[in-house]
Amino acid sequence: MSLTINTTINGQAVSGSAEASTSLLEFLRDTLEYKGTKLCCNTGECGACTIIYNGKPINSCVTMAADANGAQITTIEGLADGDKLHPVQQAFIDTGAVQCGYCTPGYIISVKALLDRTTKPTPEDIEEAVSGNICRCTGYNKIVDAIQLAANRIAGRA
Amino acid sequence: MDYFEPKTLSEALALLETYGAAAKVIAGGTDVMVDIKYKEEPGCLVNIKKIPGLDAIRENGGSLRVGPLVTIRDIETSSIVRERLPVFWESCHQFASLQIRNTATVGGNICRASPSGETLAPLLVLEAKAKLAFATGEKTVPFTSFFQGPGKSSAGVNGLLTEIDVPYPAAGSKGVYLKHAVRGAMDIAMVGVAVLVTPDAAKSGLQGVRIGLGAVAPTPIRATKTEAMLRGKPLTAALVKEAAQMAASESSPISDQRSSAENRRWIVEALTRRGLQQSWRAATGKEVA
Amino acid sequence: MAKAEFKVIGSSPARMGGVERVVGKGVYGIDLMLKDQLHGAILRSQHAHAKIVSIDTSEAKKVPGVHAVVTAADAPNVRYGRSYFDRHILARDKVRFMGDPVAAVAAESPAIAKQALKKINVVYEPLPVAIDPEEVTKPEAPTLHEDMPLPKSIPADTKVKNICGHAVVHLGDAEKAMAEADVVVEEVYETKMIHPQYLEPRIAAAQMEPNGRLTVWANAQAPFPVRQETAKTLGLPLNNVRVISAGLGGGFGGKGSGITSGAAIEPICGLLAIKAKRPVMIVLDKAEETISTTIRAGAKMYIKTGVKKDGTIVARTGKVFYDAGGYSGFGVQAGGRCTNMLGGWYLMPNCHIDGYTVYTNKQVCGPVRGPGGPQAAFAVESHMDSIAAKLGMDPVEFRLKNVPKPGDRIVGVPKLRDVSLGETIKIAADKIGWGKVKLEKNQGIGLATGSWIESAGPGGGAIVKVNEDGSVTVHIGKIDMGTIPGFGIPMIVAEELGVPVEDVTVVNVDTDASPWDAGTVGSRGILVSGTASRLAAIDARNQIFKMAASQLEASPDDLEIVNKQIRVKGTPAKAVALATIATNAHNVIGEVIGRGYFDNVAAGAEEKQHGSSQPFTAHACIVEVNPDTGNVKILKYVAVHDIGQPIHKAAAEGQIEGAAAMSIGQALCEQVVFDKDGRTMNPSFVDYLMPTINMMPRIETTLVSGYPGAGPYGAKGAGEIACVPPMACIANAIYNATGVRIKTLPLSPENVLRALKEAGKA
Repeated sequence: MSLTINTTINGQAVSGSAEASTSLLEFLRDTLEYKGTKLCCNTGECGACTIIYNGKPINSCVTMAADANGAQITTIEGLADGDKLHPVQQAFIDTGAVQCGYCTPGYIISVKALLDRTTKPTPEDIEEAVSGNICRCTGYNKIVDAIQLAANRIAGRA
Repeated sequence: MDYFEPKTLSEALALLETYGAAAKVIAGGTDVMVDIKYKEEPGCLVNIKKIPGLDAIRENGGSLRVGPLVTIRDIETSSIVRERLPVFWESCHQFASLQIRNTATVGGNICRASPSGETLAPLLVLEAKAKLAFATGEKTVPFTSFFQGPGKSSAGVNGLLTEIDVPYPAAGSKGVYLKHAVRGAMDIAMVGVAVLVTPDAAKSGLQGVRIGLGAVAPTPIRATKTEAMLRGKPLTAALVKEAAQMAASESSPISDQRSSAENRRWIVEALTRRGLQQSWRAATGKEVA
Repeated sequence: MAKAEFKVIGSSPARMGGVERVVGKGVYGIDLMLKDQLHGAILRSQHAHAKIVSIDTSEAKKVPGVHAVVTAADAPNVRYGRSYFDRHILARDKVRFMGDPVAAVAAESPAIAKQALKKINVVYEPLPVAIDPEEVTKPEAPTLHEDMPLPKSIPADTKVKNICGHAVVHLGDAEKAMAEADVVVEEVYETKMIHPQYLEPRIAAAQMEPNGRLTVWANAQAPFPVRQETAKTLGLPLNNVRVISAGLGGGFGGKGSGITSGAAIEPICGLLAIKAKRPVMIVLDKAEETISTTIRAGAKMYIKTGVKKDGTIVARTGKVFYDAGGYSGFGVQAGGRCTNMLGGWYLMPNCHIDGYTVYTNKQVCGPVRGPGGPQAAFAVESHMDSIAAKLGMDPVEFRLKNVPKPGDRIVGVPKLRDVSLGETIKIAADKIGWGKVKLEKNQGIGLATGSWIESAGPGGGAIVKVNEDGSVTVHIGKIDMGTIPGFGIPMIVAEELGVPVEDVTVVNVDTDASPWDAGTVGSRGILVSGTASRLAAIDARNQIFKMAASQLEASPDDLEIVNKQIRVKGTPAKAVALATIATNAHNVIGEVIGRGYFDNVAAGAEEKQHGSSQPFTAHACIVEVNPDTGNVKILKYVAVHDIGQPIHKAAAEGQIEGAAAMSIGQALCEQVVFDKDGRTMNPSFVDYLMPTINMMPRIETTLVSGYPGAGPYGAKGAGEIACVPPMACIANAIYNATGVRIKTLPLSPENVLRALKEAGKA
């Protein structure tokens, strides 16, 4: 049965239709054609599909499209300010944390959510924020570097 | 697949009564969405997140009442849960990823009734009570009789969990929740052990002890024989060793892709031993003799 | 060698394509959406070994919204393979692993495709299943490929079966030398099947063009082999097939279909598009990938070494059973590599190893990151510590005693030009605190070395076009999955042409326009495309200088390009903009197009004459073992590598860190688990466990210099070699912590705990 979804994505009111069984990830990618959020495990195990939903990072692949009704959603497409990259985006480029880049949107969203809460994340904070984000390319070193660089820049320490 | 977003509890219960086994309740969706995609679409999906009054954490004298729609993250960030029910808090802290915790609900974890459900052994040990509603009325079921088998609980196909009531442990009690996994919180527990000890006034013996085991039986269980063996005794290293072995024998684990049954029994022994040692140390300031 | 002064080589500029990846602009094959596309889905075998008695697709074809249903009968009877042509794109007569494709549908939606698959009725006659790579060779085992002969090197009357590859290492007289050795150690090591688990699922999309050509989009590492294989298996003229790539969300060799003849979803997609007369796109599910796409093979390795009392190695014998799976795939090549590397990379005067690549009823072996190497190194480097223990010798000293010198031969390398192995061992030992660091209870320290023979693979070309504004467009045949096309290649071209790195664009591969290439595989990116791009850029530069010379009244040899200006050396005021010359080229030669290539034959001859410089490595770690649960925590990890001159420093480190992480995963938590019927028990990420950030140590990378390789500016490939040492490194540290030697992977908590209990240590 077809549902009408009225939601706000990156500050813009958006409407579309979906089935009850449609996931929010499918709604974003296939119906609205926001391809930035990635499809990987489709079971909530890898974090590639992470978006911000009413202020919290969640896995869109295991969320109903129907639950987007009335929600405020931020996707990777909503972070840059025109040509100006968000500090997290810039930091990922600057430390070499982007290899194939497929985990990158999910990571950047998770990190943005973290740094919105604190600009002095401890190693435990970082682990908590991104333990649910798998990267297969980097071995995580340069991602941790990017998180610390972004935190320092946002806080004016770098 | 029919789909409903009931605005009241009675609306939801009426739907469950009508559709019976063809209905599936969805809250956070982290389990149910995977079922829909990879197992089967139910005849009817009932999204209960619009029902008011089910997402509160409130104190009720000597216990904490938690609504089923409270997210695992909300429990993790609740200072009252962390202070008064640390064993429950720990299981929510060890629960998958932050993304999942932001969406998954405690009601979903309980009603899923998976033998390895993270919050289940702790809630068993805390002797929580489940308040259930049906179209025909309400009932309260202690957690010790709530779970009937893998995926089967007293909620059945027609019932909704409306609240859990978690009594604060007796004064002086301390406990731990220990999860055995390869990677950590991200994994489904191979074994989960919850321990709660209440020392006697002299802090030399066990006035009360509760041991909950997850992922090692068709439901989460209490190691009741082990508890009975320990109760009232002074806690020594030899007794801890014996209790740990007894707890392992009370478990009936299976072999699956995560672990062999043999390994699960080894881990029950190890984590029960550690759980008793750590809880005793926290409760008395002393090491087990 | 004097340190060269580079403009950009060795630095870490922003990745080409980095901005689009961090803002989420569609870069990957999975983001493709063709107009009017249908959804393709594949029906896979439900048995690990069975005869196909019949397939009835009539009910499936009737489902509304279904536009095509295909089986083997709809495709030409053409086999494909890498060295053994033992496979069809859709199973014909027999299935040989669960996941073997049997039929496919194209439908209006994924839901309808799923419905249609359920209505395809396949009647199977199950056959006995064979899973163990050694047991499968015995005469009583089931026969998996009735019409594939044994390798020629195995006498036809030998009572073995299910062997598709035989590699032999023969140096000196190993049996004699072994008999004369002072000390002999004999062991058996086993590794398990691993899936590369790139994050972006495999896709293929195909569309018949109005002019009769078939366009195929594939997130494949090797678009040209995909073109060849698709044309061959569908019976189409080669030039009627065009393959277009996008960036890949990871590959690690697992998306090397074509080379491996591994999954071949591209021809299936093409077949559907032809039959449906509409574009079709197939997107695999990750759980479907684990059971059906190419994997890193498990191996069982017998290894025996004889040494003198003073620690000098005198002989090695061994036997390898390399598990290719249901079809040979890349198994023969990888098995051969494993066999060679079981001889180690130390001085080895006498060596005899037989390696057998075998068929089992499981997923098929692909060229997964360092194929054969990590398996062999797990055995070799664990075994080195066992020998050291028996001799009562320090494991680092024992290795240093057997390190080769320049001019020496080692197994697989007839002549070494230089040897960085000793230096990497010493630096790794120093950085981990070998012999110095104070270890607590249950902690241990371990070291393991590695090498990787850069594939003796094909050559490749590059085309460099200089645009009117002085920007540069580069065509190579390698795709971008986070390796050199986005990092090293733009830098090399920028270095030679004197333009900013950000002005160089390496475009995606289109088989109609790009130079042929074997693909992004084999650690050959920097060697092949790096060399080709450099030579192409130099060729372009020479053309530019020729045109600019008259304008600047100088000889071409007196010119240089600095910051997009062509100027006379020593007289910077005499200059003309690169853009001016590039634009003027329209009136002269049309366009400045530089061409370059890597000549594989010439490179081989050069190596034969002067020897080769191998990319050696040593890793070391400190672990803590939990004696109650078997959990292993890595407290410190160092990786020391000789990769010659790094082109993009951060990218080179990133390859090392990522490859090490992958093998740390293989060491601690990854394996594909089977039941006795050959069913994969952990297909999804819920139970196929990859390392998450909380269990990964900081990998401290050190690059050693002074050993230039055959690549541009002395570069060596870096993509795979760090996969080689980690498993043995961790196993050695566990041995140091507990006294228990574990010889079967993974070193999971259960396996470690069991080993401790069996040794009476827990």
